[in-house]
Amino acid sequence: MKSVNTAAAGNRWIKKTLALACLGVTCAGASVSAQADETLNLYNWGDYINPEVLERFTAETGIEVNLDTYSSNEEMLAKLQVGATGYDIVFPSVHMQDIMAQLGLLEKTGINQSPGFENIDTSHLLAESDPEGEYCLPYGWGSVGIVYNKTLVPELNSWKEFFALPDQGKKIVMLDDMREDIGLALLLDGNSVNSVDPDELKAAQQFLLDTKPKVSAFTYDSIPMVQSGDIAAAQWYVGAMIYVKEMPDTLAYVIPEEGATMYQENMCVLKTAPNKENAKRFLEFFLQPEISALNTVQQTNGSMNKAAIELLPDEIRNDENINPSEETKEKLQIFRELGTGTRLYDRVWTKFRTAS
Amino acid sequence: MRSFNGQQKQLLVLLTPATLFLSVFFLGPLLIMAVYSFLEPGLYGGVEWSFYPWSYGRVLGWADGFYEEFDIVYLEILLRSAGLALATVAVTLLLCYPVAFWISRMPSRWKSFCIFMIALPFFSSMIIRLYAWILILRDSGFANQILLSLGIIAEPLDLMYSGTAVILGMVYIFVPFMFLPVYSSVENLDPKLIKASQDLGATPFTTFRRVIFPMTLPGVIAGSILVFIPALGNFVVPSMLGGAKVVMIGNLVEQQFLASRNWPFGATLSMVMILFMLLVVSFYLLKVMKKQRAA
Repeated sequence: MKSVNTAAAGNRWIKKTLALACLGVTCAGASVSAQADETLNLYNWGDYINPEVLERFTAETGIEVNLDTYSSNEEMLAKLQVGATGYDIVFPSVHMQDIMAQLGLLEKTGINQSPGFENIDTSHLLAESDPEGEYCLPYGWGSVGIVYNKTLVPELNSWKEFFALPDQGKKIVMLDDMREDIGLALLLDGNSVNSVDPDELKAAQQFLLDTKPKVSAFTYDSIPMVQSGDIAAAQWYVGAMIYVKEMPDTLAYVIPEEGATMYQENMCVLKTAPNKENAKRFLEFFLQPEISALNTVQQTNGSMNKAAIELLPDEIRNDENINPSEETKEKLQIFRELGTGTRLYDRVWTKFRTAS
Repeated sequence: MRSFNGQQKQLLVLLTPATLFLSVFFLGPLLIMAVYSFLEPGLYGGVEWSFYPWSYGRVLGWADGFYEEFDIVYLEILLRSAGLALATVAVTLLLCYPVAFWISRMPSRWKSFCIFMIALPFFSSMIIRLYAWILILRDSGFANQILLSLGIIAEPLDLMYSGTAVILGMVYIFVPFMFLPVYSSVENLDPKLIKASQDLGATPFTTFRRVIFPMTLPGVIAGSILVFIPALGNFVVPSMLGGAKVVMIGNLVEQQFLASRNWPFGATLSMVMILFMLLVVSFYLLKVMKKQRAA
């Protein structure tokens, strides 16, 4: 998702609704296709892996790869919870990996013993349930900053400037996402994006309510609107860099100076995986620096494989937004599982979305 | 006696598969939903198998604040969705009623063509059609470009992400549901009765009120119900064309099942919505039937 493409927002609705409506049916499909001998079934976000990586894997090992996609962590979890089997590898965000570990859904792979793991930046072993990397392999990461139209806004460096744009008659949009929007409000107040403190959440709710009239829309589908100039700036993922590279004169992406939320997905093997050996082979395949780099170049997101970063073309390696300095990285906050705190967020979000 | 039994058997054979299919795939999920709405939410989604009436209390008022808190906001959202659905019914009816008369007076070749044109959008996905509306309505979209080049406006209008855009999109999506039943009752209208009414000295308005409208009423009722029910649950249009600035009951249910991981509350909201819909529709039908009997 993190590179949600332009059609994905539409897909999202369909997928989310379908995921709930016919959970059982699709999963049955997956279990059937898993019967063949040399296969590997990936369950990943839409457009979140370079197809060339999969082709190279098949060419090298003869293992056929099936790819099924989801559009949110919760969709993936819901599907697995109602008993979907047949998938080997999933790509949960860090906080979702912790939940899945709690629910006993993940298989211990011992990937941290595999050759090449020494290249993994240990500061990216972020899951509380897996501090050593015995279960999952860090896959990709990035920030949620601002993508803007340079012909309308020559320069933009902060959230403050972003929220001031509507006063100049320029339109802005935010993501239609509970954690991202509440997280941003908390962050701008100087709080943790995982706060479950009622007072801090109250302040965040007030910020969102005050901001709401200025925001034109809440949507994932902002890129075409920013490209055409109908929207001046949008809160969006670093995946926007794909479009920035295509239209460098029109578009720009920035990690605002106040900081931003960050996401990270890890590659995990499921306990119910029918092809565990193939899954481990894929994880090891992905540990090779040139394979990891191949993926990063296409995804234009962050890599946590130090040897792979060395192989990246200059324009990506030196891009402060894709591969930020340690100083910038310190200003990024990752989402954690909130447990019962989710209830508080649900209330804030419902209140905020109901206000007119 | 024997032939009656044979007939019964035949009926049994014919009806069993359909009945089974419906009860397993239609009533089954509904039943699961009903049961889930009375269970305790699991921390990570799913349910705990213990009785938990507080989800309903949260919506309808008897939550005591210990497990759940009552909040009027959920009923507000339901009413707001109902308001939007009603507005959609009203606008589609106003549009379809006269057009149905117009098309029914056409030569039959044209008739089929027009009906085909009205059904045509059904052949493509709703999401794709709504994207087309985004291209039309946005600031640099076709609507503004045409108005600007004709000199009707000097500045682009704010069409996108507005209440107008939402109504427009809803009406566009639901017009065929209203048109087809209304048209079929208009088409069956006996012109002799209208003639008779005129001959007996009724004004055009009286003819409409006492003859034409009551006779097309079944089509109007069918159309209204066919539009109202799916419109109540629709949240794609408010999200895509309205910029998700107001939440609809459909969004809320989705939010509960996914982001908030509270399946029982999502199920509760769905059950409340279904009950509300049944109430509205049966009230409407009762009222209309009374009126018809009186007429």
